[in-house]
Amino acid sequence: MSPLPFDPLLVSIAAPLALALAIALGLPKRWSVLLAYGAFAIPVLMALHVWWHFGDAAKDHGYAFLTRYATGLDGVGIGLKLGLNGISLPLFVLAALVGFAAGLYAIQSGAERLKIYLMLLLIMQGGLMGVFASVDIFFFYFFHELALIPTFIMVGIWGGRDRSYAAMKLTIYLTLGAMVSLLGLIMLYVKSGAHTFDLIALRDHLAALPLAATVQNNIVGLLLFGFGVLVSLWPLHTWAPLGYGAAPSSAAMLHAGVLKKFGVYGLIQVALPLLPDGLAYWAHPLAWLAVIGNVLIVGLITIAQRDLKQMIGYSSVMHMGYAFLGIAAGGIIGPGGVVFLMVAHGLSVALLFLLATAIYHRTQTFALDEMGGLAQKTPVLAAFFVAATLASIGLPGFANFWGELAIFVALWKFSPLITALAVAGVVISAVYGLRSAARVFFGPSSAELAKVTAAHPPADITWKERFPALILLAALLFIGFWPKSLTTPINAALTPHTSAKVGNATGR
Amino acid sequence: MTMLSHAIFVLILPLVSAAIIALFLRRSGGAAAAVSTLTAAAIAVISVMLALHNERFTASTEWMRLGGLVISLGFKFDDLAALMLVIVGIVGLCVHVFSLGYMHDDSAKARYFGGLSIFMFSMLGIVFADNLFMMFIFWELVGFSSYVLINHWHEKQSAADASKKAFIANRVGDFGFLLGIVMCYWLNGTVSLTELAAKGEARTLVFSTLIPLFLFCGAVGKSAQLPLHVWLPDAMEGPTPVSALIHAATMVAAGIYMLCRINLLMVPAALDVIMWTGTATALYAALCAITQSDIKKVLAYSTLSQLGFMVAAFGLGSLSSTHLHGTEAHTVVIAAGVGAAMFHLTTHAFFKALMFLGSGSVIHGCHHEQDIFKMGGLRTRMPLTFWTFTIGVAAIIGFPYLAGFFSKDAILYLAFEKNSAVFALLALTAVLTSLYMVRLWKLTFLGTPRSDHASHAHEGGLTLTLPLVLLAVLSLVAGYTAFYPNVFSDVFDHIPEAHGSDHTVIFITSLGVMAVGASIGYFFYKSTPTDTLADKVPGLFAALSAFKNAFDGAYDYYVAKIQQRFVLFVNFFEQIFLAGLIVRGLAGFVGLCGLGARALHVGNLNAYVYWFLFGLAALWLFATGVL
Repeated sequence: MSPLPFDPLLVSIAAPLALALAIALGLPKRWSVLLAYGAFAIPVLMALHVWWHFGDAAKDHGYAFLTRYATGLDGVGIGLKLGLNGISLPLFVLAALVGFAAGLYAIQSGAERLKIYLMLLLIMQGGLMGVFASVDIFFFYFFHELALIPTFIMVGIWGGRDRSYAAMKLTIYLTLGAMVSLLGLIMLYVKSGAHTFDLIALRDHLAALPLAATVQNNIVGLLLFGFGVLVSLWPLHTWAPLGYGAAPSSAAMLHAGVLKKFGVYGLIQVALPLLPDGLAYWAHPLAWLAVIGNVLIVGLITIAQRDLKQMIGYSSVMHMGYAFLGIAAGGIIGPGGVVFLMVAHGLSVALLFLLATAIYHRTQTFALDEMGGLAQKTPVLAAFFVAATLASIGLPGFANFWGELAIFVALWKFSPLITALAVAGVVISAVYGLRSAARVFFGPSSAELAKVTAAHPPADITWKERFPALILLAALLFIGFWPKSLTTPINAALTPHTSAKVGNATGR
Repeated sequence: MTMLSHAIFVLILPLVSAAIIALFLRRSGGAAAAVSTLTAAAIAVISVMLALHNERFTASTEWMRLGGLVISLGFKFDDLAALMLVIVGIVGLCVHVFSLGYMHDDSAKARYFGGLSIFMFSMLGIVFADNLFMMFIFWELVGFSSYVLINHWHEKQSAADASKKAFIANRVGDFGFLLGIVMCYWLNGTVSLTELAAKGEARTLVFSTLIPLFLFCGAVGKSAQLPLHVWLPDAMEGPTPVSALIHAATMVAAGIYMLCRINLLMVPAALDVIMWTGTATALYAALCAITQSDIKKVLAYSTLSQLGFMVAAFGLGSLSSTHLHGTEAHTVVIAAGVGAAMFHLTTHAFFKALMFLGSGSVIHGCHHEQDIFKMGGLRTRMPLTFWTFTIGVAAIIGFPYLAGFFSKDAILYLAFEKNSAVFALLALTAVLTSLYMVRLWKLTFLGTPRSDHASHAHEGGLTLTLPLVLLAVLSLVAGYTAFYPNVFSDVFDHIPEAHGSDHTVIFITSLGVMAVGASIGYFFYKSTPTDTLADKVPGLFAALSAFKNAFDGAYDYYVAKIQQRFVLFVNFFEQIFLAGLIVRGLAGFVGLCGLGARALHVGNLNAYVYWFLFGLAALWLFATGVL
């Protein structure tokens, strides 16, 4: 238990939601903005607190800080059960950090109707904290929907180019994905016969009475399709670049950085321990789809992009391919690498979206062809962007490297051929990463940019922009230099010793 | 353990320096230069201390653990590492000091010196690494520092392109390197150099031709061997001291160092590939160097060629010799490839760094003129640069009893013993080497000035000349293995040495090739503003240029025509076929159905009656079997 007199998990969910409610009830703008700092900061403080105390905390089945709140739905096995294990802890911290950075960036952006914008962002933040703190599958799903709905509204109202088409496409795709995965989860609930959505109880139950192979295969099939849409598995991904291209920066940061990880997280937290045979059944098609579709095809498409934000969107689709590959590879190294990569990618892609918007404010365009030579005017912004790019293409020293490395190592055991194809992705990502950095910042400045900068001389990155960027960059470097900060809890969660009975679920 | 703590200190120090510069000294270039240079000085001093101290150690600590995958951060400090450490330390210090003068007025001095510190950190990591994962990590980091430093003058399009090209070419090599590491990890259960060596002793090492070949890919990228060599000449866009440190003496030599590290994984087939790659690179680059007019480009191709020598030497492999001990015959196998390659790496590091810094001094003196046809007559205007550069030239062409003479002889002898075709090609390369070096030397320093810049050339300050003198001394003496204290014996004991009649053959060959090449270079080329070869034998000149351009052309064609068109095609396919036809089509189909269904509901009684009658008729037709 945590030494705090209250439940830090509940507080980190409730604080943003409470402020969102207060804003909805008519809190004045000045107070809304002021309190928003606190509402975004509280989850960070709570997350750091639980991260610090996780090692010593008492654990049940690997879960620490367990608390159960009555919901009145106990009859159908639904209860708000909060807790963290070694897989959810890193993502919980990620959600808090990215949320804080996105919140700070939103506040300084001075968007139109800022109050409502912040309200939606706070709902997202509360939902995200809930997703990773929930031990109950029902609430895990509920919080995801809670976080998802504001995204549609934010894209539709504050979005950029093509926002109405993007919002519609996003809504249809993600609702469909969520529906199909819900179907899978309900099927799991029904077929397990445990009459509970509690992951821990389900684990124990299914360890004793595993589901039949065909049932597992069907459920995992549904989950892979549903989660596949949410995580942009090729060819279900076309919503992602379009949506991110249109989304306002803070929404893109939170969605691409954190919310999108819901699907992969679900596969690791639910499918991997509960439905190992089903996952093994789908492993090969999944791996081929991910490596050919996400890594190679989408990787090449990323090279062809002319729009900075769409390029970042495509690159994140590509990196999600690695996540699927790690899951397919199995064992401890594969999924462990995936958790690592999810955290790293969440931080780096959020940073890239933040910086892309900062660039836009100086160039008035996202078109790569119309930029060039910006580094002469904004050297610090250039340094940030290059660092974020190199992080996302897996340069050692940043967190992403460890995740990719672990996935490649695990993948070799699964299939050397797929490994070779996947590793070719590191060359592709170097091409598009460095190309975009060079197009924006290096070389002589383009005629278009010269016109814009003559009218509005661009200032270097301001402290208000720099602070949220620094949070993300510092986290990337911290994890990159000290990978054990993540791998220790991940190992603890994935190593079978937490419950001898589910041993076969994790070790293949 | 005191030596271990020294090693840790020497590794951490440049990282701290880089962090301090990045965080606090961005606007104060002078302070950044001081911090970085003091760091380099401390590294040089401690490196020499570490090497001279006889303690050799290994130590490692767990860095990351994921299931069964353990990646550790460790030190393997043996004679090989000690030698490399000293080279990096000394050349690093020289380059830092030189940079103080050369980059004195640069507007982004802090970034430059921060980059140098990051480079020192990464390079030392490669030197110390006790396992392949760690080596790969620092391997990528040197690539990053090289990227930053090549891109130092980033407002130039050529610099931006060159840095990108360097990073991507290295990534292509690293693709294979990483696969090799992962394969070795699964086949042998470890990538720790110490544990691999133990397995080798116990004869439980699992060999595969693929592992060394994959790992060699890394060396092909980093040491710029064919066909990934294209980035190195372009990398000359970076400031000249950077070219001396990174693109001549240390980073590009890391590929050879890595090969020597994994020597125990080698199999004959892989060695053959390595040998031929090195030989081909040596010859190709020497041919390219002949037509260059940029002083740095000549040196860059020369570096490629010399790296080819080292790689070929490594690929030639071990030598076994039989000694009679009383009545028993002992067969002694020496890792001659490692010995010869590392020996040449050492001497090359000194004389090539000397020549690059010398060219930097020339460029500085001539107000950033790099065209040798606009130089000339610098002998009297820059005497110290002239004499030190002359020592460098003499060393590289194998002038008797200078550094390059001994190391090149070792390689030639090894080739002579192992493979006569390689021997002939390397000897031919040696002829070309002395040809293009003497050409460069004559055009730059002799004759009369051919431009205003050259006639007003002047020697730089003490920071520019001191490093030259130090490196010149090393180029004079570094070839004498007796010169080295007895602390590198694990490496230098493996240098192949010819005896008896072999010795005579090698000595004569070596003198011959040098004399022929140097004479052609000296007597054929005239101190004119145009290339004598282009004037007298335009056909040959054009052929050589075309030969040189063939690779660049092929890559440019690939990038612009094949890769770009292919990605555009895939993008088009995605936009039109997937996002357009299928997704929009599906949506469109649903929409069309909706539209059709809506058309039925017009709210008009007559229409409904007609539909009703139509349906009734259809039903009747169906029931009677007409439909």
